[in-house]
Amino acid sequence: MFSKIDLSPSIPSLGSISQSRLFQRRANSKDDLSEEYRSFQDIDYEFIDKSDLQQHGFSRTVTSTMSLDNMLCARCGDGFEPHEKIVNSTGQLWHQQCFVCAQCFQEFDDGIFYEYDDRKYCERDFQILFAPCCGKCNNFIIGRVIKAMNASWHPECFRCEMCETELADTGFIKNAGRALCHECNAKVKAIGSGKHVCHKCHALIDDKPLKFRGEMYHPYHFNCTNCGVELDYTAREVRSRPGFAANDMNELYCLRCHDKMGIPICGACRRPIEERVVTALGKHWHVEHFVCAKCEKPFFGHRHYEKKGLAYCETHYHQLFGNLCFVCNQVIAGDVFTALNKAWCVHHFACSVCDQKMNQKTKFYECDLKPVCKKCYDKFPTELRRRLKRQHEAMPQRKAATPT
Amino acid sequence: MSKAKKVLDEAREIRNPEIDLADKAISSFEETPGLLNMTYITRLTLSHNKIKSVPPALANLTNLEILNLTNNHIEELPLSLSSMPKLRILNLAINRLYNLPRGFGAFPVLEVLDLTYNNLNEKSLPGNFFMMETLRALYLGDNDFEYLPPEVKNLKNLQILVLRENDLIELPRELGELTRLRELHVQGNRLTILPPELGNLDMTSNKSVFRFEGNEWVAPIADQLQLGVGHLMEYLRSEAYRITYNRYSTNKPQVPPPCVDKAKKISRIR
Repeated sequence: MFSKIDLSPSIPSLGSISQSRLFQRRANSKDDLSEEYRSFQDIDYEFIDKSDLQQHGFSRTVTSTMSLDNMLCARCGDGFEPHEKIVNSTGQLWHQQCFVCAQCFQEFDDGIFYEYDDRKYCERDFQILFAPCCGKCNNFIIGRVIKAMNASWHPECFRCEMCETELADTGFIKNAGRALCHECNAKVKAIGSGKHVCHKCHALIDDKPLKFRGEMYHPYHFNCTNCGVELDYTAREVRSRPGFAANDMNELYCLRCHDKMGIPICGACRRPIEERVVTALGKHWHVEHFVCAKCEKPFFGHRHYEKKGLAYCETHYHQLFGNLCFVCNQVIAGDVFTALNKAWCVHHFACSVCDQKMNQKTKFYECDLKPVCKKCYDKFPTELRRRLKRQHEAMPQRKAATPT
Repeated sequence: MSKAKKVLDEAREIRNPEIDLADKAISSFEETPGLLNMTYITRLTLSHNKIKSVPPALANLTNLEILNLTNNHIEELPLSLSSMPKLRILNLAINRLYNLPRGFGAFPVLEVLDLTYNNLNEKSLPGNFFMMETLRALYLGDNDFEYLPPEVKNLKNLQILVLRENDLIELPRELGELTRLRELHVQGNRLTILPPELGNLDMTSNKSVFRFEGNEWVAPIADQLQLGVGHLMEYLRSEAYRITYNRYSTNKPQVPPPCVDKAKKISRIR
């Protein structure tokens, strides 16, 4: 073995290594591995770094003062020649040619070696054989190794899958196969449970949230702009308006202070009205919330009709309360003729037989609750008139119908 | 120059869209020269004439909204009438109709149909008669109906239904589905019981009229009517009446005889 010292200084020609994953990764890697070492905290590889070497072992000494008889090489077991250079490392002695990498049999560059399983390796071979590979960038990990999620990582490669912050020092939470930081995990959980995450402390909001400038918060992060009391979810966000808020951003007020500010409350949605206010039926309304009680369309300033504390659009007021003309079926604008359980507009109040217009003074007969002028009635078949007359007389408590 | 021609000339001159030809002794549309070319007219009133038949060309008056043919001698109608696109009110009262043309119910926008005082019964209605969903008033008084077809429920917008002085023996339960009904005239028929579903109708508001005199109501109904329509409606909705009605349905009360009163109707004259 020792005689193989003249092997090429490149990668050892062991087939098993050249096929190995480590080797392949090493071949892909562009990094040169001569960067300075940092301590491996997270794994149990032993290593000796430069400063250690200088302090402790590994000195080349001439052993003139020592008895050569009881000094043997830790590798080959032979003794040392007088004046031969002896390597002294970690309390053991070596021939200079025996103090080589267990893999490539080359001397250690700058005297740096790695020890694993009682064998010493040069840096290059140690990495090829034993150093972990990063699960993200596939490069060897020198220095601190993060072992997580069944892989090893550079500290700077192990990041939250959502927000990309480094997780090495803050810890992480495994969520559905992903490594997430605490905040993102809380967010994901909150979305899943239909809750909000506080925009300030990033914790889940268990109770009712407070919306402020478009974000959700724990109400207790805020105080009333006016009285300073800590807020709860009933607090109101008020758009700045002269005399109420100094800047043009919204401010939060407790309900008490808010109510004292005299902002009108919509009679429909119970929320403050900050833009146009409609006042009707003894209440205030958002323009878009003041609607017809029947069709629920906003009036938007159009005329409305009130009946029994409710407001109606023109069409539905008349449809519900009977002021559609029997002939044109349109809402009656202006004078209304009411008779025979029906209503007519001025143009259409006419004899149902000859279509001649009638007025308040015209006398008419009733036939099936339709008006018939006298001229027409007289032209009805005699027997029909007789029957209608008899029926009319039999009708209980009839009142003479007259147009109004 | 006939009176009719004079009216038409005047109307043409000022382009009057409403033509009044009531009581002009017209017996045929041949006596109204050019009338069928006045396509701009919206109303045509021909009451109290002697018109026997309506020409199909009348449907050329595509702007017509109101057609009044009350008190004529009409025995037959053209099918084309029901294709008039704007016709809203059609008055055919006091005529001599025994039948309606097939497909009569195809009117696209008809709102008021008056067929009072003709000779119609449930067999003379065409199959699509109750397809007129836009109808808000249907006048069938003084006809010869013994039954009202249950399809009447399709007239969803019906507010007025007049069945005065027919020969009705029963009313269909489906009548209770006409939720917008506010005038129901069934006086002078041969009715004895009422379907409980009628209790669903709002017949007690001050905008509603229910006329029921001149029928041979069974005692429980007659008693409630004595107290008022409100009492009747409440009774129709009661469990007690449901049981009573079921009993009457299996064991029908005796059908009263037809009304003899109408025998002298001039509509019968052929």
